[in-house]
Amino acid sequence: MFLPAYKLIKLHSLVGLAALLLSAGCSAKQSPCRDHFEEGQAPVITNPNLAKKTAMLCFEGYAVTHSGISRTPIWSAEHLTARRIEEAQQLKRVNRFHAEEQLPPADRAELADYARSGFDRGHMAPNGDMPTENAQYESFSLANIVPQSPKNNQILWEGIEAATRNLALEDKDIYVVTGPIFEGNNLERLNGRVLVPTFVYKAIYDPARRQAAAYVTPNAPGMEYQTLSIAELEKRINVNVFPKLPAEIKAVKMNLPTPTPHGGRSGKNKPVEVDSLERQ
Amino acid sequence: MSSFKPYQNEEQSLAIDDVTVENRLDRISVYGSVELTRDRAGLQHAKALKEVIDAVVTALEQDKNLPEHIEVKPTEKVKNPFS
Repeated sequence: MFLPAYKLIKLHSLVGLAALLLSAGCSAKQSPCRDHFEEGQAPVITNPNLAKKTAMLCFEGYAVTHSGISRTPIWSAEHLTARRIEEAQQLKRVNRFHAEEQLPPADRAELADYARSGFDRGHMAPNGDMPTENAQYESFSLANIVPQSPKNNQILWEGIEAATRNLALEDKDIYVVTGPIFEGNNLERLNGRVLVPTFVYKAIYDPARRQAAAYVTPNAPGMEYQTLSIAELEKRINVNVFPKLPAEIKAVKMNLPTPTPHGGRSGKNKPVEVDSLERQ
Repeated sequence: MSSFKPYQNEEQSLAIDDVTVENRLDRISVYGSVELTRDRAGLQHAKALKEVIDAVVTALEQDKNLPEHIEVKPTEKVKNPFS
């Protein structure tokens, strides 16, 4: 008898689970991961250095590929529907950040790595997209978290997340892939363990419009952001975020909504789209 | 909400309307926005915020060794392993 992957996962110990995920990935047709991906196809990392020590994990509200080198996600993928967002907006509660026990201790971040660092624990798949208590809890896994500049996370990035949710409400159904960008010769590291991204991206495919594009912001204070076509983004980050998407859709940049920090009440300090961004 | 222990852990995250409150060892982060409407929901949100702020003030006042400013742990610079 063939058991669906999610049932198998429940039968295994944590150690067995890690082995299962590493060996099978989330590519099995019955995998609960599949629903998070455009055409059921997970993003593909195209830079061998970036693919080292990675593991894919499947959760109720998102799937992630985590790097044991950066001890952060490389991408987090979600399928957002209007109904899901409406459910998420009804669910405001207490949550708990936690280390990801499915990952080997040597590869994962711990809460202590972020303590007294001055960096926020920035969700890649945001809690605000999560429609159930379990999905919310899972979004607080450090497998879904990067060290993020507080002024980025709390203002501009929050506005990008809110604008993305509004797009899902308007167009009913979108695919989103979010992750860190690590550029340049040198990087910052927390507690000898967790790498700090230089930029953050959020890629969106909107099937209703048959169009796609991505937001990019520096991982730093400020209201400047950039938008890229999926082709430009994939070349820059060495990840194919939507592998099944036709090249002609990837080539043309969709007109993304302006970020809406604080419910659009951000006063004088409004988001500004720019053609290029400097690392800060 | 009464289980919110300011500065005691790195775990807790509360949502009060669209305000997020995060507990850290060296700070409490409060961000987002909330409409304190003149209705029952507004009162509930106001009380929830007050409970958090009261707990923070109490915790800070009880700390006899409050520094002028906290310092964060410096990051280190490392070679980019991905480039």
